[in-house]
Amino acid sequence: MTLKAYSAFAAAAAAAFSPAAASADEQVFGYVRGVETIPQGGWEFYQIATWRGGKGAGTYNAVDTTTEIEYGVTDRFNASFALKTLSIDTEGLVIDGYLPGPEHYVLKPSGIEAEAKYNFVKPAVAPVGLSMTFSFDYAWLDPHSGRDKNTFSTEVGLQLQKYFLEGQLIAAANAALEATYADRAPIASLPAGFDWPTDPEMEIEVTAGAGFSYRFAPGWFLGAEGVFQTEFETEIGQERWSIFVGPSLHYAAKKWWATLTWFPQARGGGEEAYPGQTDRLHLVEKTKQEARLKVGLNF
Amino acid sequence: MFDRRRLLFLLGAALFPFAARAERYVEPEEAARLIFPDANEIVPFSVDLNKAQTQEIKRRSGTRVRNSRISGFEARRDGQAAGFVYVDAVIGKHEYITYAAGISGADKVVGVEIIEYRETWGFEIRDLAWRAQFRGKSPDDPVKLGKDIENISGATLSCRNVTDGVRRLLATHVVLGR
Repeated sequence: MTLKAYSAFAAAAAAAFSPAAASADEQVFGYVRGVETIPQGGWEFYQIATWRGGKGAGTYNAVDTTTEIEYGVTDRFNASFALKTLSIDTEGLVIDGYLPGPEHYVLKPSGIEAEAKYNFVKPAVAPVGLSMTFSFDYAWLDPHSGRDKNTFSTEVGLQLQKYFLEGQLIAAANAALEATYADRAPIASLPAGFDWPTDPEMEIEVTAGAGFSYRFAPGWFLGAEGVFQTEFETEIGQERWSIFVGPSLHYAAKKWWATLTWFPQARGGGEEAYPGQTDRLHLVEKTKQEARLKVGLNF
Repeated sequence: MFDRRRLLFLLGAALFPFAARAERYVEPEEAARLIFPDANEIVPFSVDLNKAQTQEIKRRSGTRVRNSRISGFEARRDGQAAGFVYVDAVIGKHEYITYAAGISGADKVVGVEIIEYRETWGFEIRDLAWRAQFRGKSPDDPVKLGKDIENISGATLSCRNVTDGVRRLLATHVVLGR
């Protein structure tokens, strides 16, 4: 991780801990979602920073931040809106069709997202809780290359959650289906023979995740989570897939909470590879490691 | 004897000092006096459940017995037992919720007082209206969230665990032959 990437992550972390930052429907996991909703009239604010680093060749570090506000429209229905930024630092790495060359910048606004969440069943009054999310995302920067790319995505997700041991152990599982329309902007000076398609493309992404978290002391949870993700395209079929697995540490006080997740890629694969790419990992769009810090404030 | 729960609590408190901060609304003895205002004697008691009693409480209430030491107060009026107040703790979303449940000699809940509650949502759990739902409940009632006890939005787990706790204390009261 270079100095620039450290700076970006530190800036994002500082933003997360600044007094203006706040939280959400307390999330004990970094990537897997729970089913709980905030009550009617409640507000939650969260700051999320995700570092992605390492592609097996050259230098690649990126930090995504999400600043989100969520409102309890009813006890079961929540609506949220988020602003996203991207920081990227890549050097000495060219991936044909994906990464045209070096790119360096910090905290550029990259997209917006709106989400609705509806809770059908509360996990504390039924054997298993169930919620559904629907989100719309518009991004104008490609999170992989950092270059200009208009992306419109809609995602439908289902969340399951179960409390064990009176809530001391929390288990959750998710499934989501995302449809994306993407349109890259042309780049004037591409490397010789570099393929950079600017025709619009459509993709379908399937995500499944699961995790558990155990409360080992008042306010403290330690757990593990994993996410499988795969993408499908018309011409190729299954284009690529990845599995990330890692530990999560969560602390909750009365008015705020924080969750830190270390998320290395365990396995992955796909149609494409590049010189220097580590075997058995999908590194064209993903990285070897991810880490996510979420901070939430309830008010 | 090695106390794992205490060690974990101290570890958490050392890692983050806010974790150890307590917010107490009422002292346990005061809670007993609120539940039995006519009592002129509040006498502390403590009893250790044996294995058979623990299993019987679990069978009757359908909940685990996390702590085999039962403590609280006997409320006496003019030398006669008016009832017992059990001081108990259940898991909230983040912290333990400490509460007291008073049960009469006729095996009916007289009152519930919240001693400590530190969750983000659901402070209505301290409201008289929510706690009043337990009054008159007996071991023959379901005492179950969503059945005869209403939920509070945003504090479902806390409500469920307090409700299950009162049901367990009713079973405890019967098993102890109070």
